[in-house]
Amino acid sequence: MTPLLDVRSLVKEFPPRRRREPPVRAVDGVDLALVAGEVYGLVGESGSGKTTVARCILGLAQPTAGTIVYDGLDLGAADRPTLRRARRELQLVFQQPAAALDPRMTVSQLVAEPLRTHGLARGAALRDRIERLLAEVGLSAALLSRYPHELSGGQCQRVVIARALSTSPRLLVLDEPTSALDVVVQAQILNLLLELRAQHGLSFLLISHDLGVVGHLSDRIGVMYLGRLVEEGPAADVLRSPKHPYTRALLSSRRGRGSASLDTAPPLRGETPPPWAAPGGCRFHPRCPLRERLGSPPLCEREEPHLDDGGHAAACHFLEAAS
Amino acid sequence: MSVLLEIDDLAVDFVRDGRVATRAVRGVSLELSAGEALGIVGETGCGKTVTGLSILRMLPPTARTRGRIAFNGLELLELPERALRDLRGRRISMVFQAPGTSFNPVFPLGRQLQHVAERHLGLNRRESARLVAERLREVGLPDPERTMRLYPHELSGGMLQRAMIAMALLCRPSLLIADEPTTALDVTLAEQILRLLRSLQRELGFAVFFISHDLDLVGDFCDRVAVLYAGRVIESGPAAELLENARHPYTKALIAALPRHGRPGAALETVSGNVPAGLEEPPGCAFAPRCPIAAAECLTGPPPLTLTGDRAVACYRWDAA
Amino acid sequence: MTAVADWTSAVAVAPAAPARRRRAWRRLRRDPIALFAATILALFLLTAAFAPLIAPSADQGRGTAHVASRDLGPSAAHLFGTDHLGRDLVSRVVMGTRPALGSAVAVVLLAVLIGVPLGLAAGYVGGRIDEALSRLTDLFLSFPPLLLAMVIAALLGPSLTHAVFALAISWWPWYARLARSVAQSLRHAPFVDAARVFGVRTPTIIARHVLRNALTPILVQATVDAGTVILAVGSLSFLGLGSQPPLPDWGLMVSDGRTTVLTDWWIATFPGLAIFVVALGFNLLGDALRDVLDPRSGG
Repeated sequence: MTPLLDVRSLVKEFPPRRRREPPVRAVDGVDLALVAGEVYGLVGESGSGKTTVARCILGLAQPTAGTIVYDGLDLGAADRPTLRRARRELQLVFQQPAAALDPRMTVSQLVAEPLRTHGLARGAALRDRIERLLAEVGLSAALLSRYPHELSGGQCQRVVIARALSTSPRLLVLDEPTSALDVVVQAQILNLLLELRAQHGLSFLLISHDLGVVGHLSDRIGVMYLGRLVEEGPAADVLRSPKHPYTRALLSSRRGRGSASLDTAPPLRGETPPPWAAPGGCRFHPRCPLRERLGSPPLCEREEPHLDDGGHAAACHFLEAAS
Repeated sequence: MSVLLEIDDLAVDFVRDGRVATRAVRGVSLELSAGEALGIVGETGCGKTVTGLSILRMLPPTARTRGRIAFNGLELLELPERALRDLRGRRISMVFQAPGTSFNPVFPLGRQLQHVAERHLGLNRRESARLVAERLREVGLPDPERTMRLYPHELSGGMLQRAMIAMALLCRPSLLIADEPTTALDVTLAEQILRLLRSLQRELGFAVFFISHDLDLVGDFCDRVAVLYAGRVIESGPAAELLENARHPYTKALIAALPRHGRPGAALETVSGNVPAGLEEPPGCAFAPRCPIAAAECLTGPPPLTLTGDRAVACYRWDAA
Repeated sequence: MTAVADWTSAVAVAPAAPARRRRAWRRLRRDPIALFAATILALFLLTAAFAPLIAPSADQGRGTAHVASRDLGPSAAHLFGTDHLGRDLVSRVVMGTRPALGSAVAVVLLAVLIGVPLGLAAGYVGGRIDEALSRLTDLFLSFPPLLLAMVIAALLGPSLTHAVFALAISWWPWYARLARSVAQSLRHAPFVDAARVFGVRTPTIIARHVLRNALTPILVQATVDAGTVILAVGSLSFLGLGSQPPLPDWGLMVSDGRTTVLTDWWIATFPGLAIFVVALGFNLLGDALRDVLDPRSGG
């Protein structure tokens, strides 16, 4: 099946902090394919580059190299009007719901904006559509004249989702959609997202550091570390039998496993280095518990491991030893 | 075990333009024993942070506090400012959410910790430097002598959080208030910090007042947990038992809402609605409008705490289901 | 369950907190200084609107001399006295409210209309446009504003219109800088990103999202500036570079009376007082607005 979204060898560089240093690679060669109707969960901690990937896909950042093909269309080479049409189908749900809404606009104006921008409705039809969208995300029409600061976090996020839905998108990029929300509100929003996905046949690119959320929604999962994908595969497989030592560490970092789990050694030592200080060879090697167990084989420092396409794959030189 | 901290019917209001704008805490009573870790859990606006801040009287001037807070018999809310300042950082310490903003950017890290040592322990520069180096090593910072000379912006988030813990434990307090200490950190780093806190607590024997929105986290780290809703404690008890066998419908809702308790791809069990806003005075139980088992008696007034052994629930119908 | 259900429906849509603007308005009304300033300015505004009707002698106000009654001190007939040409000073001051307020508003308006769009564009787009604009504003800002205005006015020839124009040219860089800093801070705001993702075009983003959020600081600055402009216009006219006689310009009147300030003190004092009071009014109002519209105060 041709993927709905096909990202190949995506690279995004940022200018260095000091002039004579090389540029910083926030994303260093990412391949990501998403099939229509699928939920792909992109997991990673800070500095992994997952948000940068999202921004490149949505056109908020220009890729340094690589291609982004949406529905067969190369977004990098498309002309303005084609790009605009693609924009309608690719929508974004942010992390900070209140910040994603212009504080000086009412809910009504906010939901109308994308519709107006693309000339999708006007006058009475516009009002009608806005009210229907609000109903779909579970908001009462009484909130139309409110400002974002008068809404709760959950309500703000619903407005954000309503806006994203207004242009009848096919792919929703959700960047930490529930991280800023309380647990109960998070559950409500996750339920809403699942419902909308079923009703509209949407595909999601879900980006989060929260394995619980990702595991709950995703069909496939990709794990990123310092700008590269280190593991990818069907969600159930990755969560149950992770292949990469980093994924294992992430899974062992979940809470709710009882008090005794805090008396053991932490799953991972050290911290993620900043993107401009990425280690050579396998980026994960300085912190890798597997490498330590194997007596620090030199291969890890010399060569960057390769991630196979398809199925359940991990970028590690010692996959067999990992079990 | 002796009771170290006793909070008795604490109520905190915030005023604006002369009128009460928010009732953040509406009558919280808690007890913390020496060396114990008590988890204070709730969603945004439940009053957990305000409760924590009132212990050290660190609320903004718009706050109006009522009730009693006793620390080792000392009435904290009536203590003169001078005595309170001696207490802060010495016998009761605090660790915050964002390590970056807890340090002054213009002083080297070491100097800032030294200030605390010199102020509270009366040490001179050389003695304080030695003590600080020792404490920094204790929290797992390699090469403390060098680290001390760095400025906060030159340190990573993990190092800063460790340094903040070192600063809090410098004078060996008997109570540490931790306000979402790992929320802003990556999960793998949070794991290190939690284990650090755990081992330090075991070794030094201080009590922890652990404020968090993360029920799982608090369930693992703490000995006892208190759940707050709309400014009141609605359930409390031993951590593991409370999570396994929650009694209050809200606690049950919190637990059920966690993604790991649902089937992947299926809807999560949840309650509708939002946490009540700051000024509403509900006719009965604050949770009643959203409660799956609410009945007429729930509107008669705020439910009193029912005590059974070491567990408490504020619900008229907790044993109905 | 109905009682509970009723309560549920009541909380389902929480009552709207009073809009930030309404709360700000209430606070403004309570602030005694703001009320004082607003009252003063309102009085002057009304005076300007109905000047010919309020002035005991509109003709004298406009400039008609009445040499028979020159240099008379304040009396029942002439509350402020008369000037060197025998004109009733009350009428002169009253008629003077028009050029005073008019020029203040004109200067500020022009400065805003020139500076804000340039600043917004530079701040939002950045890059070379920003560099070019920054150099330009630096150039203008390096001159002391009054000096620049004086030079321009001298070059163009003395008249109120030229003075207004000259002052506007000295003033616009401040608004450009203000607008630029707001635009820069909002450039990466999430809601601006959202608009970009929706495909909203850049000029629309600037007009719709950036400008609206910049209005408050601009309004505050404009109000305070109006007071300063009144002083500046007065100064220019005093120096002979602004209004020319017989226009009832307060600065001009002060200039007229300066030689006799010790003997016929009223000729310079009352117009001077008028300048002072109006400038003070604008300043105080601007300050009050800033305090009230500051986002940290309860927004």
